[in-house]
Amino acid sequence: MSGHSNYPEWIYVAVVIALMAWVGAEAWEAERLVEHIPEGAEVIKVTAQQWFWTFEHEDGTKEIGELHVEVGKAYKFEIRSKDVIHSFNIHDYVVLMDAVPGRVNTVWFAPDAVGIHDIQCREYCGLIHYNMRGTLYVEDPSS
Amino acid sequence: MKGIVGLLLILAVLVMIPALDLAFAAGQEPGEYVDRRVIIWNLFFRMMTVAFTVGAVVAGTMIWLVWRFRESHPKAKPTAYEGTDW
Repeated sequence: MSGHSNYPEWIYVAVVIALMAWVGAEAWEAERLVEHIPEGAEVIKVTAQQWFWTFEHEDGTKEIGELHVEVGKAYKFEIRSKDVIHSFNIHDYVVLMDAVPGRVNTVWFAPDAVGIHDIQCREYCGLIHYNMRGTLYVEDPSS
Repeated sequence: MKGIVGLLLILAVLVMIPALDLAFAAGQEPGEYVDRRVIIWNLFFRMMTVAFTVGAVVAGTMIWLVWRFRESHPKAKPTAYEGTDW
């Protein structure tokens, strides 16, 4: 049509592009902060299998179904699976990472308060998935 | 029109630069002790604010369009292809 102005449409396109760029940048920055592991983080090997969790500390100490960590310290989880796909979740600390056979996935966290928290499998992994739980004990270094 | 497109292109690039800067600045340097909960929930709340604001603007624009360009609007004008006998 003659005399039709599409100026507002260009403004609309620009606003959408700007918003998408901003949303992307925000998400990217959050991902960068969350994924970068602090120096000196202790590595804990997490092994998932039907239907329990095994944890191995750097000093070789192993724990089954429960994990003891120190408050204020950073921990890097190296998550493996021995059978099917599981998902390692500490709900209270927003830690969530799949355990995939043949892969080592990593996620880190630094508990900031003494307490007891649930660990659970978040990927349906068979009959007793619902009870594939563990307990996280965040303790004072002196105790 | 070329001028507008150029201007918008420049504005888009200006918005993109900080995003790319942040992304490429993220090398292998050790991270900080951050609280995942705070970062993840903050991101969620900000994204929800954007989503609801954009939703309100889009919905509002559509409501206004339907209201303004209805046939019975006092300022409605027939378009060329609708004819003029009404």
